Amino acid sequence: MEGVSEVLNLFLSLDNFMAIGIGVLIGVVVGAIPGLTATMAVALALPFTFSLEPVTAILLLVGIYKGGMYGGSITAILIHTPGSPAAACTLLDGYPLTLQGKAKKALQMALYASCIADVLSNLALILFASYLAKIALNFGPPEFFWLICFSLTIIVSIAGESAIKGLIAASLGVIVASIGMDVVYGSQRLTFDNYNLMDRVSFVPLLIGLFAVPEVIDFYLKKAAPHVRAASSGLGLTLKELRASLKTIVRGSLIGVIIGAIPGTGATAASFISYSEAKRRSPNRQNFGKGELEGVAAAESGNNGVAGATLIPLLSLGIPGDVITAIILGAFMIHGLTPGPVLFQENLTLIYALFCGIMLSSAVLLFVGHGVIRYFSLVADIPKAILLPIVLMFCVYGAFAVNNSVFDIGLMLFFGVVGYLFNRTGFATAPFLLGFILGPMFEDNLRRTLLIGRGDPAIFFRGPITWLFVALTALSLFFAVRRYWQERIAARPDAAPRAHPGTGDSGR
Amino acid sequence: MTAAGRPRWVNLNTLLGVFWLLAALLFLFHLVPNHIEEPPMVQNPLQSPRWLPSVAGWLVALLSLALIVEGCLRPPVRDPDAAEGGAPAWRWLLMLAGFAAYWLLFEPLGATAAGILGTLLLFAAHPVRRPWLYLLAIALPWLVSLLFVHVLNVPMPSGTLWD
Repeated sequence: MEGVSEVLNLFLSLDNFMAIGIGVLIGVVVGAIPGLTATMAVALALPFTFSLEPVTAILLLVGIYKGGMYGGSITAILIHTPGSPAAACTLLDGYPLTLQGKAKKALQMALYASCIADVLSNLALILFASYLAKIALNFGPPEFFWLICFSLTIIVSIAGESAIKGLIAASLGVIVASIGMDVVYGSQRLTFDNYNLMDRVSFVPLLIGLFAVPEVIDFYLKKAAPHVRAASSGLGLTLKELRASLKTIVRGSLIGVIIGAIPGTGATAASFISYSEAKRRSPNRQNFGKGELEGVAAAESGNNGVAGATLIPLLSLGIPGDVITAIILGAFMIHGLTPGPVLFQENLTLIYALFCGIMLSSAVLLFVGHGVIRYFSLVADIPKAILLPIVLMFCVYGAFAVNNSVFDIGLMLFFGVVGYLFNRTGFATAPFLLGFILGPMFEDNLRRTLLIGRGDPAIFFRGPITWLFVALTALSLFFAVRRYWQERIAARPDAAPRAHPGTGDSGR
Repeated sequence: MTAAGRPRWVNLNTLLGVFWLLAALLFLFHLVPNHIEEPPMVQNPLQSPRWLPSVAGWLVALLSLALIVEGCLRPPVRDPDAAEGGAPAWRWLLMLAGFAAYWLLFEPLGATAAGILGTLLLFAAHPVRRPWLYLLAIALPWLVSLLFVHVLNVPMPSGTLWD
């Protein structure tokens, strides 16, 4: 009882409530602006926490993190521009829904899926922190290697109209990711002696270039069309629609929790895996990519399910799960605290006060999200002739801000042209992005596995976890190929009428 | 032969397949050997810095062949949107000028002036009818630059031309 009162004493302060509210609001707004990431916002907010109490400081950063995870979906849905990398998957169905005049439905689905996933992720953090972290601690490079192999199989699912083109795009993503200095041998790969490329191709300019700039180019290269008001004020989400997607949201949240608890995997992979799983299981899988609410729910629950779970290894083991938690780890240290098992022994009150704040942040996210939906829905009604030049300005400033480099602006514009050409020729950009993210992780874990196994391939099958991921990878590939052939057979002219008369390889 | 009088194999997928096949071969036989340094000693060929790019390059080559075969056997139906007329040349030229202003003049003019110029060029490219809206093209880049510099502490270039 004394412990409870100590926790409440520490938690129930105006500063903590304000920190959560301001943090979530900043996170949502920054996350919604293309080029400004939650990582950047958390990093920039860190100096402002020096004078705050440890709990208040951590809650401010966690609030920004959670708000940023959701905020990225707003512009992904409204203007086809993911505000954060993890929201790249949300636009696959979110933007088509906006085009159909169902932006409000998509935004509300994203918000509810995010909040439900966030609550489940927080519960996982509170209830299973030590247990799940123990499992993740058993993961070594071979297990990560197979986990990434499993993640790579989802490329077939997100390849769009043509699996062949999707796989080419993913391979190109891997090639682009290999540019830079080799981390093991220090040799240069495809840098052409350009020092800007030594530290790999910057992720943010590439992301903005692939997803935001093609929209701008396409608008100016097409014949002027009358402004169609995006019906963001359309009908809201019904309880029936939410209930229909609830299973997907819970599944996506659990995927996010598991992936978030494994350090280094990240929200982007979680959202794509969740999306792929939802597509695989949904009776409406033909609608995925064309404006399916369940797709938005899957992507957002996967990506927000990660938020609480990344704190599991951080708090219980002192291992940051991603860049943002690494910054939060820094905030702990600035305040004289070292996350890990010792923290649970010596500062249990602080841990539980944090848990209270983290749970509250989900409610605040719902509250702020509602207000921001109304506000940001206006973005969709602004004519593109006004909106897109402003979007480009944010993109340019955001791309520059990452490394303070004009080279990154050029890089962003280059990938914008690449993205535009991809769109025009039927290549999906999502597999390219996935190849770019997973390629280096694949290579890194392959090399580590070979190093610890001294070249013996038996290391790849060293235990039940590796076998589990081998089986999952094989099954995923089998089902993807089977579905591909089934859909091709269905798309033949002598079969049933084709669902999609766009291209010869359509009907997928 | 297609209805348009072209041979059946002349279609977007075949041409894309040929393009990517040539690009993959160039990558595998020129860029990988000449622009990826091989360390003097590698314990396992799979650990070589050339291994993953080579595998990805071969994948592109093989998939391009598959795309060519697919293009020959199942030519894609032309997208009706592609037949739509494009924008007048001055529009995309102004767009390119806007891009160039951002890329080439960002440091000489500074973030604010380059932002204003880029936004004005794009506003003019797809003409915004109401003149007062052009004030937005001046006010917004200025405000956003201030936000970046003073609130987010991101040092934006102030312009070498004005120094």
